[in-house]
Amino acid sequence: MNFDATTYRVSDVKPVMTKALGAGILGLLLTFAGYFLKSDQFFFSYLVAYLFWVSLALGALFLVLLFHLTGTTWGIVLRRILETVIMVLPYLAIFFIPILLGMHHLYHWSHADVMANDPILSRKAGYLNITFFTIRTLVYFAVWYYIAKKLYKTSLEMDNGATPEQVKTLKKVSAPGMILFALTTTFASFDWIMSLYPHWYSTIFGLYFFSGGLVGMLAFLTWFGLYLRKKGLLKDVITVEHYHDLAKMIFGFIIFWGYMGFSQYLLIWYANIPEETVFYLARWQGSWPVITMTIVFGHFVIPFVALLPRSAKRNLKFLSILSLFVLIMHWIDIFWLVMPVLHKSGIRFCILDLTSFFGIGGFFMWLFWKQFSKHPLTPVGDPRFKESLNYKNL
Amino acid sequence: MSVENTVAADTFTEPPLIKGNQTFASVTEIISSIVEKKPKKAWFVLFGLASSLVMILLGSIGFLVWEGIGVWGVNNPVGWGWAITNFVFWVGIGHAGTLISAVLYIFRQKWRTSINRFAEAMTIFAVICALIFPGVHVGRVWVAYYMFPIPNQMAIWPNFRSPLLWDIFAVGTYFSVSLMFWYTGLIPDLATLRDRAKTVLRKRVLGLFSLGWRGGNKQWKHYELAYLLLAGLSTPLVLSVHSVVSTDFATSIIPGWHSTIFPPYFVAGAIFSGFAMVMTLAIIARKIYNLEDIITLKHLERMNMVIMVTGMMVGYAYSMEFFIAWYSGNEYETFTFLNRAFGPYAWAYWIMISCNVLIPQLFWSKKIRTSIPLMFVISIFVNIGMWFERFVITVTSLANDFLPSSWDYFSPTFWDVSLLIGSFGLFFTLFLLFIRYLPMISITEIKGVLPQADPHYYENHA
Repeated sequence: MNFDATTYRVSDVKPVMTKALGAGILGLLLTFAGYFLKSDQFFFSYLVAYLFWVSLALGALFLVLLFHLTGTTWGIVLRRILETVIMVLPYLAIFFIPILLGMHHLYHWSHADVMANDPILSRKAGYLNITFFTIRTLVYFAVWYYIAKKLYKTSLEMDNGATPEQVKTLKKVSAPGMILFALTTTFASFDWIMSLYPHWYSTIFGLYFFSGGLVGMLAFLTWFGLYLRKKGLLKDVITVEHYHDLAKMIFGFIIFWGYMGFSQYLLIWYANIPEETVFYLARWQGSWPVITMTIVFGHFVIPFVALLPRSAKRNLKFLSILSLFVLIMHWIDIFWLVMPVLHKSGIRFCILDLTSFFGIGGFFMWLFWKQFSKHPLTPVGDPRFKESLNYKNL
Repeated sequence: MSVENTVAADTFTEPPLIKGNQTFASVTEIISSIVEKKPKKAWFVLFGLASSLVMILLGSIGFLVWEGIGVWGVNNPVGWGWAITNFVFWVGIGHAGTLISAVLYIFRQKWRTSINRFAEAMTIFAVICALIFPGVHVGRVWVAYYMFPIPNQMAIWPNFRSPLLWDIFAVGTYFSVSLMFWYTGLIPDLATLRDRAKTVLRKRVLGLFSLGWRGGNKQWKHYELAYLLLAGLSTPLVLSVHSVVSTDFATSIIPGWHSTIFPPYFVAGAIFSGFAMVMTLAIIARKIYNLEDIITLKHLERMNMVIMVTGMMVGYAYSMEFFIAWYSGNEYETFTFLNRAFGPYAWAYWIMISCNVLIPQLFWSKKIRTSIPLMFVISIFVNIGMWFERFVITVTSLANDFLPSSWDYFSPTFWDVSLLIGSFGLFFTLFLLFIRYLPMISITEIKGVLPQADPHYYENHA
């Protein structure tokens, strides 16, 4: 990779793109081969990997919207990475096709006879049916595509000198964009994850899914920034000051995620209503408590304690390890949300979990690099770019 | 830097936070003079009104203790009436203060400096008002100390699994940390007032409370660190207090109370209502004391944005509850929400929806967002709406529970109303005393956001 420090462009990204595409093709081929061996496992593994990457992209969309709405200064230098991720998000709609094809494996409610014979489920048939499910998914992606494109395009135009109108446009798109984001993300989490247990419900579930994705994206951003740094890219652009703030954000949203998870658990545990406890009961069967406790400690306690000292938040080597750790925890969180539906008696890892992760991830990163290398790697034309570049934590 | 912006940078620079070309001296003068001069006539009129309401409060509490809580409108299914509604309402009001002083501080939002002091004061007074209600609701007020886990010879302990006990810890911690945070912020300003004091007594009293502040480098260093740490400690409290309050309802199995979104939903509502109250008070105070240069339209506009955003968060929670009530397929849940919207309390429900979700949408328009009379009216609507939200939650779920034969309708009595009005009296009395005796805006922090505070200022403006 060659980096031009005057135009902030990167060239010669072929090797990394080939690697990503290779991982994607190989991963998906192996995963699809798995379909012929264990079709249930295939669909569940695929769903976990899919949700992991979608949740990251949704976290990125939230951050871009948030940056524009609050007029963030420190985050400007990071924005192009996020903007590129949100441009990958619409492509993920294509990767939804296998899930649509595997509806009967994944979603109990997709069987008409089950719905008709269950007095509670039959009431939900107006919402939980394949046609409406498909339409909703299309709507989510259409909304995300529209917001992402508008924000990305305007930001690119600003690279050649920004006008106050463009800054205003970004704000004007972001305000309603945030509302649409909140609603679509919530219902996507209801559709894709919560309805795996068609009887179960939790009003906070949308926020839980969103907060996990946000933590994941912040960790990804930290890890990716440090990866670029190692390759000599954006070394003087994303400084230790920005990483310090990113670490604070990870710390803060780890707590936010923990708050959502704890609120849900405490209230369900306390009220002890069978139709709600079923969710946690399934995650306490057999060896599942191991994963459940791994999440409590790995997704909350360890990063919380590790990120408390200021020195830790400014130690880049430490952050590159921690961000990877948080990303893995985020994957485990998604695994924990989805897999107990299939493996009721205990944890069962499968090679397909790994191949589908790299399959979708490889394509994700390939699409990312394709877009990322076309333009300056940071929003050079943003009116407060210089301010962001020289930003210091006091 | 090789890539330069083609557009002049100052097209995008924000106008200064404080208007009127203030100097350090003029800021000190504007804010300190308020507490040093004889109060204005308006102050006396308002204080007279507020303190008469306190008399109503004291009288009502006296009668309540004498007669028992039967004087309220509470009845058999509706065992929690206005008292709990008022408690949640007042605790919620306090949240804006902590959000402004702690959370916005951590997020480096400099505009908070003009409003944080009196918002924090408001927090403390609101919590005092809130604590009255559970205090008198216990019936035998004289043994209220049993709410605390105090070792006693009869070995009677409160139930540690009860959210009502968690409330005592949560609100107690919140009150003490808020007080400490507020006082820490006040120290340099108290020292300023001490240095300006004309009488010996005033000098001595202020000297005592400013803890020997001299404004030395070392003192500032310690002070800044202490302030940051307290901000860090207060931030989780913003979330925890109202989360615990929400568990008073949500840990039960009553439809409409038991909902997993309750903790964040209550926190958002608390911030929403608190900001509305800050707005109401800020507009009045700024007008009476001519503080237009310090609390500028920009500040008010940003607060309106926070009101709009938190209002939408509350709206999100309302819609999630409604959707899940249907989606759950649970007939009790579904009934409760339909009953809220179309049952005997529909009037209260629609007041809540219009005041909290619909009316704040007007702030999408910049014209309304920056019009002082309109934002004043809207802030009052939000205050009303948030009181009704707590009323709707508390009463509708209880009035129509699982057994139709036990349903009843709640109607407030004279004493319900007098206690609510009285608590407003207490709140305003404390607030008026505060603006009379203490600097209602942080002098030091305002100086910190003046352009002159930039170490490089004089290099460019020599």
